[in-house]
Amino acid sequence: MLEVSNLSVAYGAHRAVDEVSLMVGPREIVVILGANGSGKTSLLKAIAGIQPATPGAHIALGGRELTRLRADQIVEAGLALVPEGRGIFGELSVEENLLLGAFARRARAGEAANRTRVLALFPRLRERMRQEVRTMSGGEQQMVAIGRALMSAPDILLLDEPSLGLSPLLCGELFTAMTRIADAGIGVLLVEQNARRSLAIADRGYVMANGRVVGEGQAVALRTDPAVQRAYLGVAGGSG
Amino acid sequence: MLTDALIAGLTLGGMYALLAMGLTLQYGVARIMNLSYGELLVSGAFAAHWLFTVAGIAPLAALLLVVPAAFALSWLIYRVLLTPLVRRAPNREALEVDTILATFGLLFVVQGVLLVMFGGAYYSYSFFAVPVHLPGATVAANRLLALGFAVVVGALLYLGLTRTRLGTAIRAVAVDPVAAQLVAIDVRVAAAFAFALGGGLVACGGVLVSMFLTFNANLGVVFTMKALIVVIMGGVGNLLGALIAGLILGLTETFVATWIDPGLTLAATYAIFLVTLLVRPQGLFGIGRR
Repeated sequence: MLEVSNLSVAYGAHRAVDEVSLMVGPREIVVILGANGSGKTSLLKAIAGIQPATPGAHIALGGRELTRLRADQIVEAGLALVPEGRGIFGELSVEENLLLGAFARRARAGEAANRTRVLALFPRLRERMRQEVRTMSGGEQQMVAIGRALMSAPDILLLDEPSLGLSPLLCGELFTAMTRIADAGIGVLLVEQNARRSLAIADRGYVMANGRVVGEGQAVALRTDPAVQRAYLGVAGGSG
Repeated sequence: MLTDALIAGLTLGGMYALLAMGLTLQYGVARIMNLSYGELLVSGAFAAHWLFTVAGIAPLAALLLVVPAAFALSWLIYRVLLTPLVRRAPNREALEVDTILATFGLLFVVQGVLLVMFGGAYYSYSFFAVPVHLPGATVAANRLLALGFAVVVGALLYLGLTRTRLGTAIRAVAVDPVAAQLVAIDVRVAAAFAFALGGGLVACGGVLVSMFLTFNANLGVVFTMKALIVVIMGGVGNLLGALIAGLILGLTETFVATWIDPGLTLAATYAIFLVTLLVRPQGLFGIGRR
């Protein structure tokens, strides 16, 4: 269980994330909706430790405090981030990316099993093991990025805009994969532009604006919320 | 004549390749532009000379002492002198400028110490200088031995960096240090290790070079320049690129010295360097790959 409270991120005087609190349970898919610039990416980066949070924040994973840990220690504690732009090693092969995914000590014991699981999830990677990742299509790169994160045997997986730039078909595959990841016992925290698809697979959701959480609820409730429909689901205002 | 030049060129090229591999680790992974790189090579050469002439230890056995010592010294330099710069640098460019200045200073410190200890005279010693007769040429055995060792060390390094998880992790830091943290790599430790490994390699090169070249305390800068040229030609962080560019440079220099004029070696070096930069500014084989 990931618990975040009072998390703020500031760039100089500008507060990109303002006292955000949220939680993600095991097997749960939680989506964060919000316009561009609402602070979603900064929030995920701060949780993963690659962007400093302002003092006073609390981030805990399974009761263990993560707040002062370095990014590499946070992965070791069981939280993996697939960042915006994927953050894969483009000059290395698929094989090497997956090998490095299991660099964390926590991942070594279950490495073979995790690898089997990742290749079952993304069979396409199987024939591409020796290919340099930067030569692959956007969808395949996203598979490598998620596969690499799963290789670290995380309890919680953070995904920043995984469907960005993917074809509708690949998008569908990706969202199916996310539900299977959650079914395997991993909590998924997802930042997405594609509100319709993400609310369809999510259990719960948060709505962010100007760095703050301005709404939260069950995914079912958010899908029918008139404000959410107007802002993110492209439903015309008025009739509801 | 051809075999002669070929072997001399391959030996020199092998040395360049080894040096470039070390520098590419320091620059590509640890992000330190180390201008005092060649000084460690000269220090290694003097250490080998001293161990051989005073203590009677053969250069190849000296490697067992010199390489770990250089590794430890480089690690210490990284932790004490360079870590504060890494910590305060807001970005890669700022770190480059800072480390260039810091290691430029270090260059003169090491050079000064070497000058005090050994003076400006040229040194050499005769180890394993028996002639070996090959078809078309006679070569000193120490040269072949140095070449053989460069090949073995280079191959071990290449295999270690490409076939093991730890080596792949070190290359990953060169490709993307932020993403490296996301797979639980402690980038500071990886950088210190890569810098120290580079130091070990250049000292190894120094010991090997001392077996067949005369050297003095001022020679470091020449080797730093050559290593830098090879790294840029091969592509920063690219090990195979360093190997191939090193061999090209070694062979070209030897061929030019043999058939055109020894005075033109440096000109030839910079000519191929310039052509590479003009035609392929990212290096012959691109950045950051194997």
